[in-house]
Amino acid sequence: MPIAIDFLQNVSLFQDLDTAGLSTLAALLVSKKAPAGAVIFRESDESDALYVLQAGAVVISKHIQGPVDVVLTTFRDGDFFGEMGLFDAAPRSATAQAKVDSILWRLERNAFLHIISDHPEIAAKVCYRLVSVFIERLRSTNDQAREAIRWGLEATGYSPAASRALFGRKST
Amino acid sequence: MQEPAKLQLLTRSSEDSAFEIFEIDSTQASSRFKPKRRPAAEWDLKRQPRGIDGSLHFVLKNLRDDRYVLLSAQEFFLWEQFDGRNSLEEIARAFHLAFGAFDYSLIHGFLNKLYHAGLLDDHQARGPQNALISPPARTRADLRHRLVDTWRRLAFRTSDADRFCSMVYRCGGFLLFHPFIFWLIVAVALVAFAAAFRLAAHSHQFGRLMSAQPLLSTGIILISLLIASVFHVLIHAIACKAYGRRVRELGFFLLQGILPTFYADVTDIFMASRRARLMVDLAGPLVEVVFGSIAMLGAYLSDPGIGQAILFGTGVFLWESALINLYPFSFLELDGYNILADLLAMPMLRKQALALVPNLGQLMRNPSAIQRVELIQIAYLALCLVSVFIYLVLHLDALSTLLSFSWR
Repeated sequence: MPIAIDFLQNVSLFQDLDTAGLSTLAALLVSKKAPAGAVIFRESDESDALYVLQAGAVVISKHIQGPVDVVLTTFRDGDFFGEMGLFDAAPRSATAQAKVDSILWRLERNAFLHIISDHPEIAAKVCYRLVSVFIERLRSTNDQAREAIRWGLEATGYSPAASRALFGRKST
Repeated sequence: MQEPAKLQLLTRSSEDSAFEIFEIDSTQASSRFKPKRRPAAEWDLKRQPRGIDGSLHFVLKNLRDDRYVLLSAQEFFLWEQFDGRNSLEEIARAFHLAFGAFDYSLIHGFLNKLYHAGLLDDHQARGPQNALISPPARTRADLRHRLVDTWRRLAFRTSDADRFCSMVYRCGGFLLFHPFIFWLIVAVALVAFAAAFRLAAHSHQFGRLMSAQPLLSTGIILISLLIASVFHVLIHAIACKAYGRRVRELGFFLLQGILPTFYADVTDIFMASRRARLMVDLAGPLVEVVFGSIAMLGAYLSDPGIGQAILFGTGVFLWESALINLYPFSFLELDGYNILADLLAMPMLRKQALALVPNLGQLMRNPSAIQRVELIQIAYLALCLVSVFIYLVLHLDALSTLLSFSWR
């Protein structure tokens, strides 16, 4: 199934590309269908590709303990995820799982390296968008980390708020 | 086992742009944190009598630097769990089993108390304590905090108060607590009261004489009250020594932030019996009783004139001062309040009662749901309100009478 160029134009990652660039990219994308509940990749799996979500919903979560994961975000039509896999083979930092039946397009790292070597102008535009997304997601992660630490500090009593903690009797 | 990750926390100083960074284990900001109290040799714990509301309290003393913490029964349970072996998760589970519910804010508040009191293991408390000693600038920035700071600068305290009081106690202070002295005071007070009763017939004349020389009268009475209040506080402190407890401070401050007064910090008396606390509370007002009695006897023995009038007025004011001190319902933590709180074994009665005020409307809409402890707190609030109102009415009347004399 070929991917529609119209759809790719609406993906923020590719918004700077012209039709020729999109056509070059489209030829490298591989279709993947994920029924509801299917795991697209697991936390600690090897990273090897980026995914573009054409239709459906994908939940990104990180394991906390036992059967409990914390949901980091949910992606919907036109979003992309797993971008770290384009640059780094380190284990996946989170799990991606289809919330409903979903259609995805997979861009493998090797294919992306091919774009970098053969079409550097396309790669530059994609990388620029990727950096923007990295920044945005990093900000969000910082906020979450701050909230988690604040909660932790409060739970363990680390707060400068209590000024009347000590007990005393001043007879007058 | 993998080492916990490190968290670096930055605290800003209150006055300038300086800051300090300290490092803690990430486990100290999570439910895996294992609070550990100081070794047993560094603290003392005293169980307090059960309160009339059924509550149980403990006073925990840091023996290294005389800091105290009041513990509820629930906090005492937590304190016992803080042995460095149990994580917050495990403590929360144990608490739930013991009390049927658990709220993390309880543990938050209690740990905060312990940090302030220096009762947690040094390694755990080092970083946070630094932060607590220098609250962030933004909390001090507002006007209210600046005003409080200004007021606090007016206060002073003695260093080494305990050594001074011990010396006074050894050099004759102990005699004051002989039963003979007590009965002597009672006898003198009774005679003085009889004298005052006879002099009362001339009170209008005394009032006129004093109004004729208001500066002299007011000055002498104020100086007498001031001297009496110094001795009053000193007697509290010496009474504390009579029970072998430490006097933390002697000083001057604003009681409840409004009433300038001398004070003796006798918190250590909580490590003794309730009877000891009551004796310490009662010892102070006896000074005004004695001084007032002496003034009244002096007035009785004096020739008629301004001297007699001022002695009479001084005696009345000193006795009134003793009464005000012993009266528990004034919204202030004076001796009478302390006696009441000790008798009820509700050491936080005033604070708890005031904290109830915002919810009074809600409570009154459903009186059947009011618990016994809330009933006691409401009664305290009501009696305080009525008492203050009556006091103001009586004194406004007296003031207007005095002013009418002075205008003539």
